[in-house]
Amino acid sequence: MENSKAKIMIIDDDPDFRDAVTSILQSALYEVVTAPNPEEGKKKILKEKPDLILLDIMMDSLFDGFSLCNAIKTSKEFSSVKNTPVIFVSAVKEMTGSRFQFKGEDQGLSSPDDYIDKPVKPDDLFSRIERLLKK
Amino acid sequence: MKKRKHSIVVIDDEESMRDSCRMILEKDGFLTETAENGSSGLTKVEKIRPDLVLIDLKMPGISGLDVLEKVKKIDSNIIPIVITGYATIESAVEAMKRGAYDILHKPFTPGELRLIIKRGLDRIKLFREAESLRNEKKMIEENFITMVSHQLRSPLVAITQYFEVILGGIAGEVAPRQKDMLVKARTRLNSLLELINDWLDIARMDGGSIVDKLKIVSLEDLINKQVEFLKPYAKKNKVTLSLSSISGSDKALGDSDSLEQVFSNLIRNAIKYNKADGTIKVLIKEEEDYITTEIKDTGIGIREEHIPYLFNQFYRVSRSEDKKQKGSGLGLTIAKKIVDAHNGSIQVTSKPGKGSVFTVQLPKAYNTIT
Ligand SMILES: Nc1ncnc2c1ncn2[C@@H]1O[C@H](COP(=O)(O)OP(=O)(O)O)[C@@H](O)[C@H]1O
Ligand SMILES: [Mg+2]
Repeated sequence: MENSKAKIMIIDDDPDFRDAVTSILQSALYEVVTAPNPEEGKKKILKEKPDLILLDIMMDSLFDGFSLCNAIKTSKEFSSVKNTPVIFVSAVKEMTGSRFQFKGEDQGLSSPDDYIDKPVKPDDLFSRIERLLKK
Repeated sequence: MKKRKHSIVVIDDEESMRDSCRMILEKDGFLTETAENGSSGLTKVEKIRPDLVLIDLKMPGISGLDVLEKVKKIDSNIIPIVITGYATIESAVEAMKRGAYDILHKPFTPGELRLIIKRGLDRIKLFREAESLRNEKKMIEENFITMVSHQLRSPLVAITQYFEVILGGIAGEVAPRQKDMLVKARTRLNSLLELINDWLDIARMDGGSIVDKLKIVSLEDLINKQVEFLKPYAKKNKVTLSLSSISGSDKALGDSDSLEQVFSNLIRNAIKYNKADGTIKVLIKEEEDYITTEIKDTGIGIREEHIPYLFNQFYRVSRSEDKKQKGSGLGLTIAKKIVDAHNGSIQVTSKPGKGSVFTVQLPKAYNTIT
């Protein structure tokens, strides 16, 4: 399988969530790297150059995920990785709602490539990842 | 972190004053701009938005007092300090009245200039600190419910995520009896997550900020989105779901996030309390002052005696047909609270065994510019 080599990065402050999702991704033969906060996330993105990023919206502060996503997509520092697809992962965004999506855009922040609710269903996660990796 | 340089504009018609101020201020590390009259001074203030402005009171052209007022209008956070050669009490009082922060008397020593600038900047610092505290507090207040929701949900989400791993067979094989129990446990966890969601929605409503956020909303777009989103759920329950007709305008005055919630709850119920091979039709029609939306289902219906209580918190109808349906009894409460906050109404008619119609009326948006 050619996509078995894709490298996925999980940035999330919940160690159990990182652990569980790492197992899910590894079961599908993805390579996984993780970071427990935005600061480490920033360093690792540049070092590891992942093929896709799963980014928790709310870490220490309410809008950590937004700022980081915006930085990846627009700042000079990240110009070498700016095309890396980002999926927002959140326990708060309602399945139906777009509360967060709107808020970010209202404030002129660039939006992620996709959203997924926590807890994530393995099949749903895989299909979203594959769709973005194909692009 | 590197500290930003403070900027100062000096407006004075005397060249020697401008030069000496510039020399002192630049030496102290300020970004300094000078102007020889009021109007070019104001242009610079507008462009640079300095932290502080020194204004000579007596200048040809626009008077110092007028410049002072205009500076305050450009940005009330700028600290204006007036320079005056004839320190009459009247002119000083007048300047203070019009918003000067301090007064510097000519001739002044570099020491006096520095002192007065420092006082002004201290005030800016205090002001900024107070402001950032205020902002932080406001943000926490505004997002309090989101934060509580996050904290309540996070542990549950982590647990459920492990269930997904185990049930997905990712952590090794699970014996059938174990699997059976884990599936049940996961179901209970999911209902708890839903209960938290519902409860938080109610808390959010009681916070009552919808009314400030009313915008023109296309109900067709909004409901279409819900219908598309819920189609898989309907299909799983062998129910056909469609937005079947729209007549007239579909533009209501509302808050789209909360209205999504209303229609999502109503359509979910229509699916949940339906029968196999049942249908759900959603109709939107324009009426005199309202846009009316009907959600019609061919489900199990609701007996007359329950109708008055349906919208009460935690009220659920217990009946044999839907014993297996779990719920919090909060979905309709939330829907009604939201619709009420819009000055709309929500009603239900039902025939047991045949189906129910939930009717939502929302104020019509007259202005068609979105
Ligand atoms: N479309 C419907 N058809 C039949 N019964 C309904 C319908 N919608 C709501 N109900 C009844 O109203 C009760 C309250 O609904 P709701 O507040 O959404 O709570 P929940 O669905 O969590 O029980 C439900 O328990 C159900 O019996
Ligand atoms: Mg319900």
